[in-house]
Amino acid sequence: MPLMLPTIVRNLFGGPATRLYPFQVRDSFARARGHVEFDDNKCTLCGNCARRCPAAAIEINKEKKELTFFPARCIICEVCAEACRRDAITVEVKWRSPFYTKPVEVHQPKGKEKAS
Amino acid sequence: MAPRTIAPFGPQHPVLPEPIQLKITYEDEKVVDVLPAIGYGHRGIEKACELNEYPKNIYLCERICGICSCIHGITYCEVVERLWPVEIPPRAKFLRTIWSEMSRTHSHLLWLGLLADAFGFESMFMQFWRIREKVLDLLEMTAGQRVTQSISVIGGVRRDLNGEQKKKCIEVLKEVRKESEALIGVLANDYTVKARTVGKGVLSKDQAIALGCAGPTLRASGVCEDCRMQKYQAYGDLEFEPIVETAGDSYARAVVRARETLQAIDLQLEALGKLPAGDINVSVKGNPPANEAIFRSEQPRGEVFYYAKGNGTRNLERLRVRTPTYANIPSLLVMLPGCELADVPIIALSIDPCISCTER
Amino acid sequence: MIENLKEIKKDELLSEVKKYADAKARFVTAVCNDLGDKLEVTYYFNASPGMEMSALRIAVGKDEEVPSLTGIYLTAVLIENEMKETFGLKVKDIAIDFGGHMFLAQDSPVLPMLKEKKEAAGEKGGE
Repeated sequence: MPLMLPTIVRNLFGGPATRLYPFQVRDSFARARGHVEFDDNKCTLCGNCARRCPAAAIEINKEKKELTFFPARCIICEVCAEACRRDAITVEVKWRSPFYTKPVEVHQPKGKEKAS
Repeated sequence: MAPRTIAPFGPQHPVLPEPIQLKITYEDEKVVDVLPAIGYGHRGIEKACELNEYPKNIYLCERICGICSCIHGITYCEVVERLWPVEIPPRAKFLRTIWSEMSRTHSHLLWLGLLADAFGFESMFMQFWRIREKVLDLLEMTAGQRVTQSISVIGGVRRDLNGEQKKKCIEVLKEVRKESEALIGVLANDYTVKARTVGKGVLSKDQAIALGCAGPTLRASGVCEDCRMQKYQAYGDLEFEPIVETAGDSYARAVVRARETLQAIDLQLEALGKLPAGDINVSVKGNPPANEAIFRSEQPRGEVFYYAKGNGTRNLERLRVRTPTYANIPSLLVMLPGCELADVPIIALSIDPCISCTER
Repeated sequence: MIENLKEIKKDELLSEVKKYADAKARFVTAVCNDLGDKLEVTYYFNASPGMEMSALRIAVGKDEEVPSLTGIYLTAVLIENEMKETFGLKVKDIAIDFGGHMFLAQDSPVLPMLKEKKEAAGEKGGE
């Protein structure tokens, strides 16, 4: 125990080591992976993201022109954002708050396939 | 003869964060026999890896274990790269090394804290974890997440370090080194720590080899074996000497981990200094050919063994993972008999059990 | 490609493994593969000290018995039990036999790692 004394004394006079959380929030790091956002104006329903997603969190229905996203399955690996050719998927730094029920996001993208 | 009693240790026990049961037979206070019962955390990841497409397996393999997730992902990529084989750029090798060592630092600091907690030294536990938090922040800053970093892909890494991040890493790592040095001095010399760990759970050199132990458990018994001696990734360019202790008891295992923490920080600082410029990944097209490969890398807990067999399709034919704890559990059968019942938690903890790794 | 791989017959297994044990090699692990009509078991050893690795490979029919290594290397207990319950490899005389319930429970899939059961295992609990 005597060897621990310098640390104990330092802690005694050093002030709190933690933040007063809800009042004092640490800034997220610039490239932290928080949650995934879809841009409906850019997405063309090409399906690259859904094919690459390791957690099967994205489903695409080309007939109904719908993209269904299951945030509770998402592991925020950023693979979809890397796969997207139209930059329609972005990874934001803020985390989602916890949810009580598993939400389902249905997107109806309006992006146009470029005539090439 | 005193009557024998059988007591279950676990599956839920304060020193064990994960479920494993040790059926302990004891006479008075002496342990006579022990039988581990596992299977509480089996998830069939090896089978799932066969059904999944091979790029998706990186994220699945990272979830084999929470603490060594980064090295699991990297090792999976390394073994699949060996199926072609693919040569990755030098910068990617260095970055993989830096992240591996960073996760070793945080894992060892976590374990040292848990050890302090197991013998009731709460303030030291808090101090170790406070230092660990800085390393986790570094991981979040560089890789994007605290625990499952997901930085490795087949053919390289996904993220690069910029100059500012490099500077910040060096600054924080030096700070972490100074603080952990002071605390490790306390751990290594404090008489309460020594009273609880010296001479407990002794494993001789021959026993350690015969039982096929791995990692710090093996090196604390005087066997100089470390997968980093294979000079994979950037370890060939760094000054690396395995850390070996000879006593073979719980104290030696703690000292090996404590010294490895400092060594890991030195390796990171050296690798950050020598970081070569260039690409961070090469693009790998097509499916793995019908071939088989093995790769071993050093995790915080010891040697992890990956075997992969491709069959030319998008799925792997077989993936086998032998994690270090899987190899270390039989050593409990030798270490525990003969010890006091009160020492069981410390000895069980001294192999750094990780049950989700063991059962996959 | 696996370095230092030696294919041997089932009957030679114990005598070959004994040579490793006498040379104080460390048992690393065993890998079982389903080849359709046969099971292929590869035992990996690490020549201690150092990181030199070598392997012994045997191929056995699905109803053939394989001798247990646990008499020589106690540490093979876990892997032999695992191969027994996931591949149905018939290992004789394991030192500690968990009786097919080391990882799997009563209501788990039967022999989940075998290839021909791929569909069934996938539905039940593969993913």
